[in-house]
This record gives sequence, C-alpha cells and structure tokens, in this order.
Amino acid sequence: MSVNNKIKVVIAKAALDGHWIGIRMVINALRDAGMEVIYAGMVAADAVVATALQEDADVIGLNIGASYEQAQALMRILKEKSMEHILVIVGGTIPSVDMPTLKKMGVSGVFPSGSLLSDIVTFVQDNVNVWPTS
Amino acid sequence: MTTSKNEETEHTTASGLPLKKIYKPEDVSEYDYQEQIGISGEPPFTRGAYPDMYRSQPWRIFLLTGAGTTDDVKERVAYALKEGETGFIPESDMSSWLLLDVDHPEVIKRKRDVGWYGAPIMSYIDYKDVWGSQPIGEVYAHMGSPLPQMTPFFSSCFLSLLEERQFPLEKAYGTGQGDFFIAYISIMHPTLIPPELGLRLNCDAIEYAKKVAPRITPISIPGNNARECGANAYQEMAMILACAIAHIDEVLHRGNLQIDDFADGIGGVNLSVGRDFFEDIAKFRAMRRMWYRLLKERYNAKSLRSLRLRIHGLPLGSIYTAQQPLNNIVRGAYTVLAAILGGAQSIGTPSFDEAICTPTQLAHTVALRTQQIFMHESNVPWVVDPLGGSYFVESLTNEIEEKAWDYLKLIDNEGGFIACLNSGWLQREVAKGANQTIAKIQRGELKVVGVNSFQMEEETYKFHPFRPNPKAWKIAMDRLVKLKKERNSKLAEKAKNRLHKALSKKEENTIPATIDAVKSLVTLGETGQIYRDLYGCWKVPDIIGSKII
Repeated sequence: MSVNNKIKVVIAKAALDGHWIGIRMVINALRDAGMEVIYAGMVAADAVVATALQEDADVIGLNIGASYEQAQALMRILKEKSMEHILVIVGGTIPSVDMPTLKKMGVSGVFPSGSLLSDIVTFVQDNVNVWPTS
Repeated sequence: MTTSKNEETEHTTASGLPLKKIYKPEDVSEYDYQEQIGISGEPPFTRGAYPDMYRSQPWRIFLLTGAGTTDDVKERVAYALKEGETGFIPESDMSSWLLLDVDHPEVIKRKRDVGWYGAPIMSYIDYKDVWGSQPIGEVYAHMGSPLPQMTPFFSSCFLSLLEERQFPLEKAYGTGQGDFFIAYISIMHPTLIPPELGLRLNCDAIEYAKKVAPRITPISIPGNNARECGANAYQEMAMILACAIAHIDEVLHRGNLQIDDFADGIGGVNLSVGRDFFEDIAKFRAMRRMWYRLLKERYNAKSLRSLRLRIHGLPLGSIYTAQQPLNNIVRGAYTVLAAILGGAQSIGTPSFDEAICTPTQLAHTVALRTQQIFMHESNVPWVVDPLGGSYFVESLTNEIEEKAWDYLKLIDNEGGFIACLNSGWLQREVAKGANQTIAKIQRGELKVVGVNSFQMEEETYKFHPFRPNPKAWKIAMDRLVKLKKERNSKLAEKAKNRLHKALSKKEENTIPATIDAVKSLVTLGETGQIYRDLYGCWKVPDIIGSKII
C-alpha cells in the first residue's frame, strides 16, 4: 500500500494481443474508486512482477487471452519471489467454464468478458490484503 | 438511443442525432432528387454502387476464418467454401501481425497464445499451405494482410503464388487491407512500425498492383475497427475519408499515377453495422455520396470506377454479449439486414460466440447461414435501395453526411490522419466514445438484453468454447527451423540485403524487393526486423494507462 493509504494496482496486458479498450475501462473504474493504478504495458508476466515489486503493489491485474500460460507464470514468479500477499485478478475473453482452472492456479478474482466494472472494484476493495497503518 | 420520459423530443440515434417522432416531406424538401439521391450505379451513388445491385451480383459472403496452424486454417477455409461462402479471409496469428517469427523471445514467452485467432504465417511456404488446392485467382480472397506493415509481404506472397500457378495476373482478383485502424487504434502495440512507414508500404502496393494486377484491390479501409473501439457512426465515416486522403495524397505526390489510375484500388471500405439499425443504413448511403463528392470535388476524378465506393458491411462484434450467447444470432441477423438494405458488396458476420472465444465451427456455420437465409429466403435483395425515398432515411442520410464532413474538418485541423494517430488525438476520441457507451450501459440508460436487463441466474445454453490448437507454437517452430535449414541461405541473405537497400531509399518501391525476398524464403519476422532496424518502432501515444480523458 502506498504512503497515502491508497490501494495500489499494477495492470498489464500479458497476452500476445493488443485490444485495449477493456483494460482501459478497468483502469478507469479502479481509479474512479480512489485506487492508484499503474499501467505496466503490453508485457509478459516477468515484467509485470518487476513493476509490482518496484511499485510495492497491493494488487496485480492481468488481461489474458485464450491461454492461461501468463497467469500460471505470474503465480509461479510471485511464489518464487515470496510476493504471494499480492492479490491477483485476471480478466479478458475467458470462457466462464474456465474460471475454476484459473482459481486453482491461485488467481483470486476472474472476470471474463461481460463482467461488471463495479464487481471488479468491489472485489478488489473486499479482498486486498490491508494491514492497518498505525 | 436514450430513453426518456419525454418521448416526443429526446430520442437520439446511437451517435446522438436527434430523432423526430415522424418525418414528413418538409424534412427533405430543400434537396434536389437527382443531385442528392439519383439512381443506383450513377452519381452520387446514394442508392447503390451498381445499377442492378443484387440482381446481377449477390453480396459476397466473406468471413474471417482461421486459428491454430496453417493446416487448421486450410481445413476451416475448405469447410467454409464447401458450405457456401463466396470468399475467404485467411487469418494469421498475432505474432504474424506484429512481424515476429515464433522464435522471437516475446513470442516464446507466450507460446500458448500462438494460434489463438489465426495461424502463424511466416513464409511463402506457409502461405502456400494455407491456400492448399484452392484455385487462387478464381476464388475471391483476402490476401491476408490486416496491418499496413503486413501489406508488402502478403501481397508479394499472393502475387508470387499466382505467378507460380501460371494464373494471368491481369485477370486475378482479390483484396488486401493494410488497416491503420486496427494497427494504430485497436492494437497500439509497441513493436509496430511508425505510421509514416506503413503509409509508404501501402502506397507501394497500390502503385505496384495497379501496374501488374489492376483488378486487385490492394488496400481497403476498415472504419469498422475504429467503431469497434468506440467511434460513433459519423466519426467512423470521417476517419475513413481522412485515411483515404492520406493514401491518395501520398500516391499523387509520388507523381507516377493520376487519380483515375488508382482510386478504385482504395475505394473499398469496411463499414460497421451496430445497434442503431436506421443510422447505419443511412451511413452506408451517405458514405457512398461522400466518397463521390470527395473524389470529384477534391481530386477531380472522372472515371466511374474511381467515384464509386464499394462497401464491405461488418456487424459489430462489440455489440455481442457473453451473457446468453444465443441471443447474438438475433443481433447478427438484424445487422446483416441493415448491411443489405445499405447496399453492401460483401458482408462478414461475427459468430455468436464472439464475446467468449475464437469462433467454433458451429457458430461460424450459423453466421454463414444467417446470410444465406437473407439471400435466398427473405425476398429482400431484389429491389435496389428499398428505403430510398423514405423521409426519415433520406433525412438521416443528409444529417449524418453533414456531421461527418464537420468531423473531417476537425481531423484536418489536427494535422490530418497520420498526425492524429501520432498525437493520440484519434485514439482519445474513440476512447471517449467507448467510455460514454459503457457508462450508459452501467447506468442502465442503454439497455442491453442479458447484460443490464433480462439477466438470468443460470445460462440456458451449455457452451463448449473453441480451444486453440495446443501444439500450434511447436508445429510452427518446427516448420520455421526446417525452413531455415533447407532454404538456400546465400539467396536469402542476398534478398534481405536487397530489401534493406530498397527500403533505405525513400523513393524506391519496396514490392519488387519483397517479392524477391518472399521467393527466396526470407521470413516475415526477418522482413519486420529490417523495417524496425531502419525506421525503429512507433512511439505509442500514452492512452491506455493515461489519466486524461
């Protein structure tokens, strides 16, 4: 969490893909809810973790596609670097039948196309690991 | 399409044009029939590009096809043609769109994404395999070049295959794309070449194709891709014209061709059809008239071929919903009808699983059948421009034209099409539009069935999503290794040097050197590396993560 007690989110597009309107909507919604959002770019999981580490992020949001390789890589790297306290959410064109697969990997929130922005915001607010600052 | 308590005055079109309760003769009385409407096949082409429209030429059923490997694409294309599609668009993988071979580190990190919505087509050999035994030159096809940076490589593959199969180039037909909207608005990937180079490559293809294969349309302008990202109907129209102006000005500036020599080579545009049935029909009609006026008044074009705009109608995938996906079949049907009533030359329907995955074969088939039902069962095609003369449709056609001309002036004031892409002005405009639409949906002002109204707890349809071929990367990698091992490396090196040289001279047309490279089995990624080495990558405007808007 950043010094001003805002929830800090790092968001990236990890897939071999470019469509950005959805991710921009999510960035806007989280910002409107008072969070600090850093867009890490169209980069793979390793670079996302590097940004999250540097920024001391509370949440990582990953836009993924038809394969879950990037989500899997992200969870592996977070474990290797003992950064498992970070809340991970993923979104994108994900068939809803695949939600359990992603949850099993350790992803906390899965938001397939058609999700409501307000649900994403509420999920982050309710699930982020917040340690009260004294 | 706002709803309000005061229903008399406050309904608007999707783009915000006010709607009256009823339209009367006085709404169109200030316009002259011949000048503003006329008959089909004649200026100003409001009523249609050709005199007989679907009586002499049914619209082409032209869907995106492919995923996985070159074999998978070949198989799906064969299936689609067997089932009655009358043209095909072989889809390549995103790695190919970005001119990255599958051994590039950024692709290796994302192996499982390869083949997601197309196959990696990295060489002339891959290209030939996708075509298989389909009769190139006879069956109408997209050359397979969605982005400007793909134009030379894929046009060269197409022309080389025609030559190899001894099909006379002057008789061949097909279409290219070289789409600035998908590249610099939809994707905005940091590996893209700068738009100025993209424009040069597209114009190289226009000049070259006009010389050797004049029936091919080397470039088309898909405004629908701006619309998918959030542009409204008149912004889409103005952006298409701005993009056309950039190409026309560049070709004329080179001085090798006169306007009537090449205007038909870019006079094919993609227009979207979305939620607003009548606005999009009016848009098709107004677009043809604007094209005519632009070419006549700004460029003094004289030939009918230059003045006549052909339109590929594309229902918007972005109006399809993930919830209750079978409802998308209805959305596909009424948007196809709008494209037909607007006078499209070809139509591509998304599949009902659009919001969930790459099309399954079942969903692709339904998309195809939707068009066939209209063509054969509805009796709609046999009267040209059946809405012509409607006070409402004519009035809306006039209004949307006016709005589009105004918006084109805005783009001109911002420095024109390429300057607007580099500054991020156009991307911000579409992002603003997307924000507005999503806000309306979230507030419930814009009702979307299954999303913010008539939701169901349990989906009634058990859906089996498409799964990309899990071996796509491995198969592509094996092919790439084999190609590099077996090709004549001296020949490939020589061709690469020739391409490097051609590209470094600003006045040289790059297509002959690219044809040489393609035939020498230089890969797509190697070609891209030459572009990037010489001209660098595009400086992507900060839109996605930016706080502005």
